[in-house]
Amino acid sequence: MSQVFHEIEKKIITSLRENPKQTPNSLEKSTQLLPDQIRRGIEWLRLKELAIVNESKSTVVSLGKNGIESFEKGLPERRLLDLLKNGPKKLSDLQKELGSIFGPSMGLARKNNWIDTSNDQISIKTSPQELPGEKTLKLIGNEKIPKEKIDINDLSGLLKRPDFIIEDVLKTQEISLSTSAKSINFSDSADGIDVEANVPEVFVARTHPLKDTIDEIREIFVTLGFSEILGNMTQSSFWNFDALFTPQDHPARELQDTFYLDKINAKKIGTPEQIRKVSDSHKKNWRYQWDINEARKMVLRTHTTCVTIKHLAENKPDEARIFSLGRVFRNEKVSYKHLVEFNQIEGVVVGKDASLRNLMGIQREFYKRIGITKIKFWPTFFPYTEPSLQTMVYNEKLGKWIELFGMGIFRPEVTKPLGINKPVLAWGGGIERIAMLKYDLDDVREFYSNNLRWLRSATKCQ
Amino acid sequence: MPVVELSYSRLQKLIGKVSKKQISDSLPFLGLDIESEDKDLVRIEYSPNRPDYSTDFGIALGLQGLLGEKIGTVKLKIKKSSKYEISVKSNVSKIRPFVTGIVAKNGKIDDKTIKQLMTMQEDLHFGIGRKRKKSSIGIHDLDKISFPLVYTTTNRNHKFIPLNSEKEITISEILTNTDVGKDYGSILGQSSQVPLILDDNKNTVSFPPIINAAVTTVTPKTKNLFVEVTGINKEDAEDMLSVVATILQSAGFSLESVKISGAKNSTPKLDSRKLIVSSSMINKTLGLNLTPSKIISCLKKSRLDASSKGKNIICIIPAYRFDIFGPMDLVEEVALGYGIQNLEPTLSPSQTIGITNPISLKLKSLDKTMIGLGYLEALNSSLTSKRVLYEMTNRDSKKILSVLDSKSQEHTILRDSILPGLLENLSRNIHESYPQKMFETGTIFLTGDPIAEKINFAGISAHKNSNFTEIKSVVQSALNIGFGIQIETKTSTNPTFENGHCASILLNNTQIGIIGKIDSKIIENYKIRVPVVGFEISLSESLLKN
Repeated sequence: MSQVFHEIEKKIITSLRENPKQTPNSLEKSTQLLPDQIRRGIEWLRLKELAIVNESKSTVVSLGKNGIESFEKGLPERRLLDLLKNGPKKLSDLQKELGSIFGPSMGLARKNNWIDTSNDQISIKTSPQELPGEKTLKLIGNEKIPKEKIDINDLSGLLKRPDFIIEDVLKTQEISLSTSAKSINFSDSADGIDVEANVPEVFVARTHPLKDTIDEIREIFVTLGFSEILGNMTQSSFWNFDALFTPQDHPARELQDTFYLDKINAKKIGTPEQIRKVSDSHKKNWRYQWDINEARKMVLRTHTTCVTIKHLAENKPDEARIFSLGRVFRNEKVSYKHLVEFNQIEGVVVGKDASLRNLMGIQREFYKRIGITKIKFWPTFFPYTEPSLQTMVYNEKLGKWIELFGMGIFRPEVTKPLGINKPVLAWGGGIERIAMLKYDLDDVREFYSNNLRWLRSATKCQ
Repeated sequence: MPVVELSYSRLQKLIGKVSKKQISDSLPFLGLDIESEDKDLVRIEYSPNRPDYSTDFGIALGLQGLLGEKIGTVKLKIKKSSKYEISVKSNVSKIRPFVTGIVAKNGKIDDKTIKQLMTMQEDLHFGIGRKRKKSSIGIHDLDKISFPLVYTTTNRNHKFIPLNSEKEITISEILTNTDVGKDYGSILGQSSQVPLILDDNKNTVSFPPIINAAVTTVTPKTKNLFVEVTGINKEDAEDMLSVVATILQSAGFSLESVKISGAKNSTPKLDSRKLIVSSSMINKTLGLNLTPSKIISCLKKSRLDASSKGKNIICIIPAYRFDIFGPMDLVEEVALGYGIQNLEPTLSPSQTIGITNPISLKLKSLDKTMIGLGYLEALNSSLTSKRVLYEMTNRDSKKILSVLDSKSQEHTILRDSILPGLLENLSRNIHESYPQKMFETGTIFLTGDPIAEKINFAGISAHKNSNFTEIKSVVQSALNIGFGIQIETKTSTNPTFENGHCASILLNNTQIGIIGKIDSKIIENYKIRVPVVGFEISLSESLLKN
């Protein structure tokens, strides 16, 4: 055995070897340690299963305030009888001499038929040798006496009297060494410390777990040849909706889905040509009167696609791989699966030969790098891409396929009015969804509650 | 996305010889998500651009194609009839100018069919009808109506017995007392005249787009139907009618035409369209190399018709497929017919070099520095509440930026500062062990035209011995290591901080932030039991980009 012992533990073990069964009190005397050191040492040894602690409880009794007075001066009724020993006395004299104990002592004496009362004169009838309780009083005196050593009949009367008897429950410990402790050789662990003992917890400073996932995703995109663009979270409806071919009376544009900024409209929303061509595309295809004032309404972006499309409209690249990553907003009820504000990743590939199969290939590569290999693609619908697909990934824990990213090729109705002439592959999705898989969370709100217990301890699932 | 409830056994009857498993396996590849299943019942989410999928009849048509049971276009067979006519009065032209219609005869209507038709009607009303504003449908029992009909206007005192009612009430009463009246009455505006369809006996057939008359109610006893669609746009009304006609034909009805005459209106044709697309464009977009005949067979599986002329594909699109705008939409139809599961993903070599945005890089390095200083990163929403942002922290709320109609009271205004959120975080963690040191970088929003979005950086330290010196050391070191700048602090006052323990953070004599001990009243507001020191700095573009 190569355990390390504290000096306190060594002293206690040594003492117990000399004297096998001890109380904390006796250990205190034999080791010269402080009571608190003894207490800790015993606890350490007990946890290491080196000491056996037998606890027993016992009740001790001692005298209370009135008990001590009676022990010194006699019980009230004894003092009454003593005063009457030499003949009858007047009631008023007795009252004067006995003071506060006059009432109780008279009561007891009458009840037990020790006295006679006639014509204001009190006299003894019978005088008992020993009154109930006197034996017990003498026995206790100024000490604490185990209750079991006292005649319970004699004690019971005193227990009923106020402040006569105090009862205490005493815990006594008997400490002895276990078999293994007997063979310990202290010299094995001369200067060591207790390397097995519990230590206080320290908390690591770290990036937010969600941010870790965001950073990881950003890095994957960069290694796949994508460049990051940033954009505003407040956007005109023109870029958030109109430029993306969402008609102005589309349900997604309603107040109950989208956050509009109160009383704020954009003065400049795009170049005159952009505005004209976008509105023409709407009028021609959706057949309604396009209203520029609707396009001026400021919203909190509902996707990062507005940032991407604006970038493409401004730069018109023939070939590009870009991505944007950031917060987006939906006016939904907050629940375990919905937040009003969450992070979205969005990537596009521009190139004359960009195809749907390429788009699927990039997806597959991306998921592989975040550790998701079981995927499939399903057709779906988005207003601004055609064809459109969604990725389904298999969640082992739930035992079912769940939707992850949406993707597609930007519609000509979106790209042509903005002067983008090459196919644009686009895809995007919520980052929190991926992070939930990584951190094995089933409540998305956890990411923004900043609960220190979770932030300090969250670990990724592999 | 709208949801429709179907039964597998009914679908099997409609499709032909297919198993339940074939159906459930194929649904997703038609673009339909299975939301839930319970024995024979299946709930399906469909895209609002395919209103024909609002009924099992429409879904059966799609599945027939995908499973190869029946392919090619569903041709509408409309028997020309002169028995049914709606004449349109010019007085409706300013309110709801267009009406169109069709008659469907000899169909079997059971409760399930009625339920499917009602779902279709509701979904059409919501989607392409834009909550009945653009167009709306009425489906009636044909045999309770005497033709010809007239589409005209009436005043609000006009009386009839509306659907689900037993007594005659006025239009005004319908608009103020019934649910549909309250929900859709606003479409008609304030005008004293409202649209109305009357039959030859002057009986009210319908009060579009609000409610039909009770007398024409469709029941399981109904054999023949009359469908009318009214709207503010002719094409939209006919699009809607084409879906209804297709579904009713698929449900076993035979269709007969309704002649529309007068004021801009005409008898609906519901003709198919022709669209030409090159096979090379299809192949290039999909990344495939399909022969024209293979492309044609794919289109047929998507229930379109096609033929080839050289490298061009001439595609025939039935009227109800108005979701098809141009060639790109046909590419999707080819992909669906080909089967998405058969498309093998490929990776094209990238000619581009990826670059992280310099601002993201800078912020990431700042994160690392703060972590080195022992600070834990927090993330809070940019949308927050007046309580957290202003009231609790004693800040001036004059330049508040709020959003309209938020469903969550905790998320009503955009933050103009990060520190209040961090203090709120402390108050939620009062039972966790101290010291608690947190930081956050994030966007804040400032009023103006345009709205300014800035990146702020804030931190807090809370423990029983926290003090100004400690937090100044942190800020000083973080900015020095993170940005290579030396800051100064100058005595200042701020309602969030305690007097005498508050300073402006200066860079080259310009204030970039604030630092100090959080005011004890604010600490009390948040029920925090230890002193808190904190700072907030606005990171300028130039700082972030260098």
